[in-house]
Amino acid sequence: MLVGAGDMPGQGQARCRQHQPDRKTRIWRTGIDVLDRALPDTGLAMDGLHEVTAATAADRPAALAFLAALLARLDRNGMVPICQGPGSIPRLGRLYGPGWHSLGMDPADLVIVEAGHERDALWAMEESLRSGAAAAVLGETERLAFVGSRRLSLAGREGRTPLLLLRGDGMGGASAATTRWRVTALPGSSHPFDTAAPGLPHWHLELLRCRGGRPASCIVEWNRETGDFGMVAALANRSVAPDAGWYPAPAVARAAG
Amino acid sequence: MQAGIRPRPSRGQPVRSVPFALAAPGRHGMVLTAVNRQAEARGMAIGMRLADARALLPGLATATASPAEDRRGLERLAFWCNRFTPSSAVDGDDGLLLDITGAAHLFGGEAMMMAEVEACLVRLGIGMQAGLADTAAAAWALARFGGKDGRIAPPGTTLAALAPLPVEALRITAGDARLLHRLGLDTIGAVEALPPATLAHRFDCRGKGWSVPERLDRVFGRCPDPVIPVSPPPACVSRLGFPEPLTDLAGLEAALDRLVQDLCASLEWEGLGVRKLTALFFRVDCSAIRHDVSVGRATRNGAHLQQLLARKIGAVDPGFGIDAMALHAVRAEPLVPEQIRLARDAGRAGGLDLLIDRLQARLGKRSVFRLEPVESHLPERAVRRVQPGRDVTAWCACPALSPRPIRLFDRPEPVDGVAGLPDGPPMLFTWHRVARRVVRAEGPERIEPEWWAGDPGGGTRDYYRIEDMEGRRYWLYRMAGCEGSPRWYIHGLYG
Repeated sequence: MLVGAGDMPGQGQARCRQHQPDRKTRIWRTGIDVLDRALPDTGLAMDGLHEVTAATAADRPAALAFLAALLARLDRNGMVPICQGPGSIPRLGRLYGPGWHSLGMDPADLVIVEAGHERDALWAMEESLRSGAAAAVLGETERLAFVGSRRLSLAGREGRTPLLLLRGDGMGGASAATTRWRVTALPGSSHPFDTAAPGLPHWHLELLRCRGGRPASCIVEWNRETGDFGMVAALANRSVAPDAGWYPAPAVARAAG
Repeated sequence: MQAGIRPRPSRGQPVRSVPFALAAPGRHGMVLTAVNRQAEARGMAIGMRLADARALLPGLATATASPAEDRRGLERLAFWCNRFTPSSAVDGDDGLLLDITGAAHLFGGEAMMMAEVEACLVRLGIGMQAGLADTAAAAWALARFGGKDGRIAPPGTTLAALAPLPVEALRITAGDARLLHRLGLDTIGAVEALPPATLAHRFDCRGKGWSVPERLDRVFGRCPDPVIPVSPPPACVSRLGFPEPLTDLAGLEAALDRLVQDLCASLEWEGLGVRKLTALFFRVDCSAIRHDVSVGRATRNGAHLQQLLARKIGAVDPGFGIDAMALHAVRAEPLVPEQIRLARDAGRAGGLDLLIDRLQARLGKRSVFRLEPVESHLPERAVRRVQPGRDVTAWCACPALSPRPIRLFDRPEPVDGVAGLPDGPPMLFTWHRVARRVVRAEGPERIEPEWWAGDPGGGTRDYYRIEDMEGRRYWLYRMAGCEGSPRWYIHGLYG
C-alpha cells in the first residue's frame, strides 16, 4: 500500500523524469506575478508537495492564513482534508471555521482530521493524497524527515493531488518538496475608515527553493473581498522598512520583546 | 424452530471426578444450588441444606455460588453460540435459547446440528441437554423433560412430542403444578385436551408469573414468544466454519475475503448497503472476539469493507485456534444500484467517502469531522463539528460579523494587558512571556453571555482585534465589569 521507505531516491527520480513528458500537470496560479513567473509553468504544480514554514513560531498563523488564501483561490471541485498532528493545537489553538470564512475560504469544503500522533497525521496525509479524492490536502506537522517528505511527494504524484504542508520545524534538513516557502507577517495596512484599526494583512513571501524555477520573494496583501493577492512591495518596502524595521530588525525586536 | 440448551453445572476437569456442589446462603443457612453428576448419584439434590449434605457425604467438595458470575458466563456462552445461529439468547438462570430458523441446513439437518452443538460444548467441559421444537417453550420442555430420545420434535408434531411430558415441563409455578396433579392432570396432553375456558376460569391469567393457559399458548405457538438475542439480529450474515482451527493470520485473511464476498453478494440480492459490520471470530476455547467496523455511507463495496476489516485482523489473537468466523451486517440501509456518472468528478465524490471511512477506522470517528456554523455570538459556540457524511448548513447564510481569527483556543489564555484608557484597547500585553506592543486595535466588540443556554465562562466580554509592532494579529478580550484591575485573555490568532 505504501511506497517503501527505502525506495531509492535515484529510482524515484528516474520514474519522475519518465513520467514528466506525457503527464499534463495542471497548474495552480498564485495570482502574484513575481512568484508565478519564478515558478516553472507559471504556477504551482497540482501534484506537488509545497512546503511552507513560518519565519518564527509567532508567524505560524500568518503561514496558515497564506495557505487558506491559496486554497480560496484554487478552482476546486471537491473537499480539502486538513490533517493536523497534536503538536500545534495546545500552543496555537484549533482551526476556527468562522476565521476561514472571513479569509474567503468556505469552511464547508474542509474535512478536518485531528490525529492523536504526528505519525498518524502523516499517514492521513498520505492516504488522502493517494486516494485522489481530495481537491487538495493541507497538512500541518511538527517534524518531517526526508524519507517522509519523499513518501508524501510520491503519494501526491500518484493521486495527482497537491499537498500544502505547514512545517513547524523550519527549513532544516533535506526535503523532497517541489517548492519551499517561508512566510513572515508584516505590519498590515490600516483600515480605510479607521486608521487606528488593522486593515488587510501583509505577508512577506519567500520562495526559497523551487524545482525547475528560481527563488523569489515579495510582499503581498490578501484581500478577502476580491479573493486576490495584491502587491505592496514597491511602496511598503520603502515606507515600512525603516521605522517598523521588518528587515533585518525583526530578530532584534523580538529578542528585545 | 427453536432449540433450548441447558448447560449443566460441571466446572472444569478437577471437580469432575469427585462429588461437587455449589452452595449459597438460603433462609436456613447454606443451601445447595448446583450439584455435579457424582454428587447427584450419591443422593445430593438442589435445595438441600449444606449441613445435611455434609452429614450424608463428608467428602463433598463445595464452593460458594456466585449467580452474577454465572450469569456473565452464560451470556458469554450465548454470544459464543452465535457461531451456530445469529440469534442466541440467555434463557432463565441455566439455559440458552437458539433460534435456528434457517440455520439447521448449514449443519446437515436438525439432528446433525444438535449433535454438533452438543459435541462442541462437551469438548469445552460443559455438560448439556438440548431440545428442539417449533416454539421456544416447547424446546425448553424437551430439553429438560424430554428424556434420552425424543428431544427433537419434527415440525408440526409439538403436541405429539409433548403430550407425555409432566405438567412441570410447562414451566409453571410449583403451586400450579401441584394443583394440576391434584386434579389428576399429570401430563401436558391431558391439560391441553381441556377446553381453554375451563383453564382460564381456574387459573388466573392476570397474575404476574407464568399462568397455565398462557404457557400452553406459548408452548403450542398460539401467542408470540419472542427471543431477545444477546446481540441484535443482523440484516445479513455470512459465516464460515473450519474443519481444523486456524491459528495464522494469513488463513484468517483468506477466510475473511470469502466472507466479505458472500456478504456483499447477499446484500446486493437484498438491495441493502451496510453501515455497521461486526466480524466475529470464534475461538476453540469458548470465547468469541468481536470487531466492529462502521462506514459513513451505506456500501456493499467488497474491496472497501475488506480494507477496513484487514486493519482489525492484526489485532485478533487466535489463541488456541479459531474454528469459525462470521460477518454480521448489524446495521443496513436500502441501497439502490447507483448510476455510473460520466462527469469527471463523480469518482472523486465516491472516493472521498472511502477515504473518510479509512481515516475514521484508524483515527477514530471523532477525529475526522466537518465544521458547521451555529447561530451564536459566542465564538466557542459559533461552530459545531459534524460527521463528514452529513450535509452542513451553508456558511454564507450566517451573518457577517467582524473578521474572526483563523485559530481559536479551546480555553482563552490569560495575558497581562496594560490599557491606556479604562475602557480602551491594551497598549501592551505579555503573552508567553513576550511583551507585545500594540500598534493598531479595533474594538470593543461586546459579546454578552447567552443566559438562555447556560453561562459558559462568566460575564460579558469586550473583544479587540489587535495588531502588534511586527504585524502579528491577535484576538483579545477583557472581562467587563470585574472589580479591580481588568483581566485580559487571548482567545484567537489571526493570520
